[in-house]
Amino acid sequence: MVDYTRAKWADWADHVKSLDDPAKNFEKPEALDDLVVIDVSSRSMAGCYCSSLLAELGAETIRIEPPGGDLVRTYSPDGIMNKDTGLAYLQEGRNKYHVTLDLEKEEGREIFKSLVGQADIVIETYPAGQMDEWGIGYEELSKLNPRLIFTSITAHGQFGSDSKRKQFDYDNVAQARSSIQYQTGEFLTEEKTYDDMPWAVPTKAGPWIAWCVGGAFAATGILAAVHYRELTGEGQAIDVASAEAYERLNDYALHWYGDQGHVTERFGSLDTALWLYGFFPTKDGGVFLGGLRLEMWKAFVDIIGKYDEWGAEEWDTLAPFMKEDWQFKYQAMINPETSKYTSQELSQKAIDYAKSGRFAPITTVVAEIVPPWQTMHDKNWIERGMFTPVQDPVYGSVVCAQAQWKATETPPRTKWVCRPVGYDNGYVYLNYLGYGPVKLGELEEKGII
Amino acid sequence: MSEVFKDYVKNKFSKPGPLKGLRVLELVTLLFGPSGPSFLAEMGAEVIKIELPPAGDVTRSLKPFDWFYKEQGPMFMHINPNKYYMALDLHIDMGQDIFKELVAKADIVEFNLRPAVTNRWNIGYEDLKKVNPGIIYIEKNGFGQWGQYAEEDRPSNDGAAQALSGYAWMSSFPGQPPLKQGIWICDYFGGLMGETAVLAALHHRKKTGKGQYIEMSQSENIMRAMQWVWPYQQMTGKGAEPAGNRDQCICPADTFLCSDNQFSAIAAPAPDEFKGLCKAMGKPELTDDPRFKDHKTRLKEENALAILKIIADWARTKTADEVEELGIKNGFAASRVHTGKDMFEYPNRRERDFVKEIDDPLYGKYPEHCFPVMMSKTPPKIKWTVRPVGFDNEYILTKILGRSQTQINELYTHGVIGKWKDMQGRRPPSDWDGKHGAILRR
Repeated sequence: MVDYTRAKWADWADHVKSLDDPAKNFEKPEALDDLVVIDVSSRSMAGCYCSSLLAELGAETIRIEPPGGDLVRTYSPDGIMNKDTGLAYLQEGRNKYHVTLDLEKEEGREIFKSLVGQADIVIETYPAGQMDEWGIGYEELSKLNPRLIFTSITAHGQFGSDSKRKQFDYDNVAQARSSIQYQTGEFLTEEKTYDDMPWAVPTKAGPWIAWCVGGAFAATGILAAVHYRELTGEGQAIDVASAEAYERLNDYALHWYGDQGHVTERFGSLDTALWLYGFFPTKDGGVFLGGLRLEMWKAFVDIIGKYDEWGAEEWDTLAPFMKEDWQFKYQAMINPETSKYTSQELSQKAIDYAKSGRFAPITTVVAEIVPPWQTMHDKNWIERGMFTPVQDPVYGSVVCAQAQWKATETPPRTKWVCRPVGYDNGYVYLNYLGYGPVKLGELEEKGII
Repeated sequence: MSEVFKDYVKNKFSKPGPLKGLRVLELVTLLFGPSGPSFLAEMGAEVIKIELPPAGDVTRSLKPFDWFYKEQGPMFMHINPNKYYMALDLHIDMGQDIFKELVAKADIVEFNLRPAVTNRWNIGYEDLKKVNPGIIYIEKNGFGQWGQYAEEDRPSNDGAAQALSGYAWMSSFPGQPPLKQGIWICDYFGGLMGETAVLAALHHRKKTGKGQYIEMSQSENIMRAMQWVWPYQQMTGKGAEPAGNRDQCICPADTFLCSDNQFSAIAAPAPDEFKGLCKAMGKPELTDDPRFKDHKTRLKEENALAILKIIADWARTKTADEVEELGIKNGFAASRVHTGKDMFEYPNRRERDFVKEIDDPLYGKYPEHCFPVMMSKTPPKIKWTVRPVGFDNEYILTKILGRSQTQINELYTHGVIGKWKDMQGRRPPSDWDGKHGAILRR
């Protein structure tokens, strides 16, 4: 199926592939298979994503939901369900055991404590103070289990004025609060209003990126805490606010305001700090163009045949091109040129230029802006195992985005995508608490599980 | 407030970072490479940034519009705190040998080069494994180490990953061209996930003594954050399409224009939250409307658009701050869309020490974000910002490798190590006194 000319270093590619091809993941050990995680997150995909990361790395992960299931199971476009589970949770239930437990009842909380006594990590996402109010906050649980790493991922954090707010954490609100949404989007053209251009507003990212970043920072903090625990034996409490986590990925906008009083505004699909860097139209869609070194920018001007006309030979620094007015000027000059080609043609021109152009091997980054349908069917990603369907015993064959990295010794992997509500009550409660069918029947009757 | 975080900020510097004692080498550039190691440095690891003398990382040249801070690239400053700066020429075999000596005493080594480049410099994984079998080696780039795109040697950027993954497509308004994010999300999120990978590998090494090789593609990494898109496409046989600021899986959840021309984001999917929102709008009867009776029903496209229209009309009669207050009072999530001004001035960020002025010996006081994970026993911290190219050469060579000044001078003579070029962003700021910040010799 290889229909490209192989690289000079193809032996290296083959060597790495022989070591980290995801097709061989299940032959290898798991990095975190000695850890037990309890995920009691509520309404929040930040918590679920965080525990997914640990579960993909082999941690035994017990997901606790209220009887009837957590709200996240209903998150789905157009309300589409697969066996009563929304499509979003079909991604984030992965590798976890699913039990039910009513934490609003005293007996439920006692059972929770017994599980925590045997766990390494707890993840929760209730508004600050809820777990304490139930008597299962860090203070109480750390007395039972001083090695516990207790992780809260919330809207407003565990301390500071806003932490008194009893609100749950949602991705779109976190994106708004991070300041990143404000500086993303099309700008209003002069004399126009938001009613004229309802799309020229602060625009959030489509995916739940604030939740994912919150969950990922929490997972990184948890692993650092595990490292520290091995040195000292001590657990600790971890506090992540999703909006802050996402805001940390905003670069210099804070510094710019502090130093210059400058508020970073929307700049469309250009970039305030980079040139050549943006989205440009083509005959059949659009492409990303990137050339952060002078030669790469000159190479692009050469690719579109404007090297002499635009006087590129004379350019000796990239600096003025980053100015706002220059960006607009050159954007207007580039747009009609890129529009002469299809995205595919322009991508190919850049690849060819690397072989025979004036600045070869230097070329410009040209990437087609594709819909996710095309991404999912791109054989490059398929060959690299990104969309290998998971064969789930309950939900059947389900396409998931697979692990975020490849590794030679302990690659992350997905074993199953989800479980129905309370599916693992029998196994987990027997294994951890010795509860057999009789006891479980009693608890069920009382509405505790 | 939870007792455990009482006086967290006050006592921050009386406790160690969680990764104290770990040593990390980075040979990286732009943002995808250095962002991850900065996170480790903020958690207390010793991170040595190795650049090629005398120009170093190209990011030192980049500036928003026409603004440099004391001649330095502000994005370079934001992405490289708490590191030690060494300039080592890896084209020279003596440079490669020093690199290997450092690797022998390190835990983690990070690169973001095109595939197989480190092999040409004799510092590929197989070379480094020989000097340190426990080394955790991560290579981050556009397309990984194998497969068609990698072998075509395609270069990549954050924007390319946004384009190729479908992320940009999903982050725009219907009928409008795909939109690039205002931040370098694939670089930063990739950098962050790289550290999750590295720390998991570290845990495995503790159990087995074995290091490993990790490769990450920035496009592949961001695909994982697109979650429901993939099974949706599989199950419906249709491509997923964007919906602007509306969350397609949660209803109501959208951004609304308010009477003061500011914007407010609202989310209220749970029964208690939806009820609270309807009450705040003065329309409690909406909870009994069959179109809005439960979350699954509200998510049907026509119902979702109907309720969002009702909320939009209401939001235009309130200021964004009023909507936020009503959210607090009635138990639904709401926030005014914050700006760069809020990052600097909004008190909660300061109370949590998430935003603070760092006090740097070379660059003075300026506002910076701290690490967004608060850890009760081991608070992460931001301490200093970037340094000129090769600034800490002497310190590293003396402290870690025990080189004498005579030996160090010889390395300079042979061009193995170097100091900064007399150029913006590479040299110290013009008001530097030649002493502040230098560790070993002043």
